[in-house]
Amino acid sequence: MGSQSHPHPHLNGDSNTHIPKKPKLSSLPSSLFTEAEIQNEFNHHDPTVARINNGSFGCCPLSIIQSQQQLQLEFLRQPDHFYFSELKPGILKSRSLIQRLINAHHLDEISIVDNATTAAAIVLQNIAWSFAEGKFNHGDVAIMLHYAYGAVKKSIEAYVTRAGGHVIEVHLPFPVNSKDEIVFEFRKALERGKENGKKVRLAVIDHITSMPSVVIPVKELVRICREEGVDQVFVDAAHGIGCTDVDMQDIGADFYTSNLHKWFFCPPSIAFLYCRKSPGCIDLHHPVVSHEYGNGLAVESAWIGTRDYSAQLVVPKVFDFVNRFEGGIEGIKKRNHENVVEMGQMLAKAWETNLGCPPEMCASMIMVGLPACLGISSDSDTLKLRTHLREKFGVEVPIYYRAPKDGEVDVVTGLLVMGSLVLFFIIEELCLVCSATLHGFATMNSQNQRRNKLQRCK
Amino acid sequence: MASQSHSHLNGDSNTHIPKKPKLSSLSSSFITEVEIQSEFSHHDSTIARINNGSFGCCPSSISNSQQHFQLQFLSQPDHFYFSHLKPGILRSRTLLQSLINAQHLDEISIVDNATTAAAIVLQNVAWSFAEGKFNQGDVAIMLHYAYGAVKKSIEAYLTRAGGHVIEVHLPFPVNSNEEIVFEFRKALEKGKENGRKVRLAVIDHITSMPSVVIPVKELVRICREEGVDQVFVDATHGIGCTDVDMQDIGADFYTSNLHKWFFCPPSIAFLYCRKSSQCLDLHHPVVTHEYGNGLAVESAWIGARDYSAQLVVPKVFEFVDRFEGGIEGIKMRNHENVVKMGQMLAKAWGTNLGCPPEMCASMIMVGLPACLGISRFLIKSTTKSMIITSSGMQLMSLLAMGSLALFFMVEEMCGLVLGYFSWFCNHELPK
Repeated sequence: MGSQSHPHPHLNGDSNTHIPKKPKLSSLPSSLFTEAEIQNEFNHHDPTVARINNGSFGCCPLSIIQSQQQLQLEFLRQPDHFYFSELKPGILKSRSLIQRLINAHHLDEISIVDNATTAAAIVLQNIAWSFAEGKFNHGDVAIMLHYAYGAVKKSIEAYVTRAGGHVIEVHLPFPVNSKDEIVFEFRKALERGKENGKKVRLAVIDHITSMPSVVIPVKELVRICREEGVDQVFVDAAHGIGCTDVDMQDIGADFYTSNLHKWFFCPPSIAFLYCRKSPGCIDLHHPVVSHEYGNGLAVESAWIGTRDYSAQLVVPKVFDFVNRFEGGIEGIKKRNHENVVEMGQMLAKAWETNLGCPPEMCASMIMVGLPACLGISSDSDTLKLRTHLREKFGVEVPIYYRAPKDGEVDVVTGLLVMGSLVLFFIIEELCLVCSATLHGFATMNSQNQRRNKLQRCK
Repeated sequence: MASQSHSHLNGDSNTHIPKKPKLSSLSSSFITEVEIQSEFSHHDSTIARINNGSFGCCPSSISNSQQHFQLQFLSQPDHFYFSHLKPGILRSRTLLQSLINAQHLDEISIVDNATTAAAIVLQNVAWSFAEGKFNQGDVAIMLHYAYGAVKKSIEAYLTRAGGHVIEVHLPFPVNSNEEIVFEFRKALEKGKENGRKVRLAVIDHITSMPSVVIPVKELVRICREEGVDQVFVDATHGIGCTDVDMQDIGADFYTSNLHKWFFCPPSIAFLYCRKSSQCLDLHHPVVTHEYGNGLAVESAWIGARDYSAQLVVPKVFEFVDRFEGGIEGIKMRNHENVVKMGQMLAKAWGTNLGCPPEMCASMIMVGLPACLGISRFLIKSTTKSMIITSSGMQLMSLLAMGSLALFFMVEEMCGLVLGYFSWFCNHELPK
């Protein structure tokens, strides 16, 4: 278990971050994993691919997959018995473990859903009802970050805008240099939201944005929301558990969601939605309505019709797995962060570019500027490069396009967004692969440019 | 392929049995009994499964295919996402389009289960109320015996948004289609009183408890005559249990699970939305970057999750084609077997069936002996029973049996059930 006490100042945007005790649940003597055992746990991964995109789909150890398959088989063997005797207690057990992990006060506050996208739909559908039922007025405001995840932005459009709400985006500078820049822009957006006597009904704040990838000082922003009279705050921590510190008392949001299949080794897919116990919270419903309707979101979410709930039932096994690493999830987080920063700095130095934000604003993902010679000038360029890296060099890594501002020339327009569960990768090896591939691409690109020039001359 | 018509299905004696696509390119030798036993050897051998209607069953070769997809994803998820997922779901949708005789591929969306499909249709109705397209007090009709989750969904979306719900009271035991049609017309009349509009009719194709095949084709026709805006057929028990032909039935929305009677793993269902202007507005409640690209595309990506059950559909078609007559043959034999089982039990116990055989598909209801003294809802692990008060004010408790009778011996099954109940009769029920 994590016995180190050094705080991670970049997480939660607070230098007094308390690292909560994580429950140790394995009753067997848990010997730490050896490197060979870890290799085994992931030897179903395609060995020809360097996975530097853990942030999209996560990874799941073989022993967890096997536990999951066992549960699936148990269901198929005698589904009625499973439904009547195993399912509810299993989900309850998973919820209890998550409650303690994230320091929630009440078990009722923890619902298990498929993914953060579903959690967003639950919170936002509730907002839509509030508009439709006259609790909110037409034109009341929701605030979101400009860099909010695409699906969440669409969800806000589908439920808030459609129902008559007005959406204000917080424009973040990029590259970002300090959390004060974020706080400054957030306050500006809140001011706009409150103009003309409008009410700010909801603030949707990413804990860690995806593209670009930056740790947002959520604790401070939640505090500002309370000061400024924002009704409710929803923290979208798709990248949360296992990536950064997640403490519900510390962060203080009304709603908080995090995927467990990204950085917490669960199979696809499972997430939790935390709803702070309060009068407003009681009204949340899962959009897929079953006979459990009205029994509370947690109970509704635990039965949304016949389907495979096995990913939600392996959580205890995942806790056992995590506890076999030195320092448990705290240790994993710390090592991920240190390794990914080291990787990023090494590449930035080799390519003479920069990081996308200071190391203290990264968690388990980091952004590294790609050499300008690559000539990336659009989102589709980034997709092409990404495909090229995957197909020709076996490297899986997303790339973010940053449009140059007016007057900027020869600037970094493309950034690697690296996120890796660095359990067993050798850093130098990875960097070599990266350097080689990009050298190759740059050569190819300049060859193409020369050819195009020649053609135009003809 | 089965050539006789199933006059009890769709409530129409001129039921056209659509051609089902035969996809196996291998020489089609039929599956043997030993192979079938092997496909289901993962089932608990100590349990007689007569409740196929709840959770269905999935052959091990399909489970293996599913695991193959799951591992493929885990091996390199980005590649899977960019190269395999969309084409895989498209392929499944295309097969389903042919199977149910839908005219446009856009009309077919794949979702988790019929419960999700109901939420999609009903959320749209809620928006129509909220946005003033419907007036407060406008009506939705549903059957009294509609599935619990659907009733709750109607409450959660329709009643909450200001709609008024009218239930069609069905007699039970039910003796003919005419009784159902009569009650339905009555409910429609009530719905249209005081100038109200009937915006939606939700009709089960086969009710669950009690289990009766509803004459949906005729009810849809009546809805059109009476100016009902839209008709949603909830055919949770549909594909593989009864005939499912979108042109024949004519509903606006139709959903059926594929994991109940069509051998898919848990869980997968389709939602058919007849191409029309209203259809464009349906959305999956879980919103992603695909929002606005049509329900089928939205449903094919609702965030990172396991889509493998949706990708094995082609394998399931191959499996089904290994039976004589394909899905038609399976349906026919299920129906015959379950009727035979039901009649045998009813005779042995001196009780009745819950409805005539022609109003059953792959499930049948048999009255339990009165000596059991069942006075409350009992749930057993192998059987389902419920209490229905008949018009004669007699409590009747019925066994609702549904079995994919692929390899069970009918006599063996009845022997089991008879034995169980004779034991029961000889013991006091706990108070």
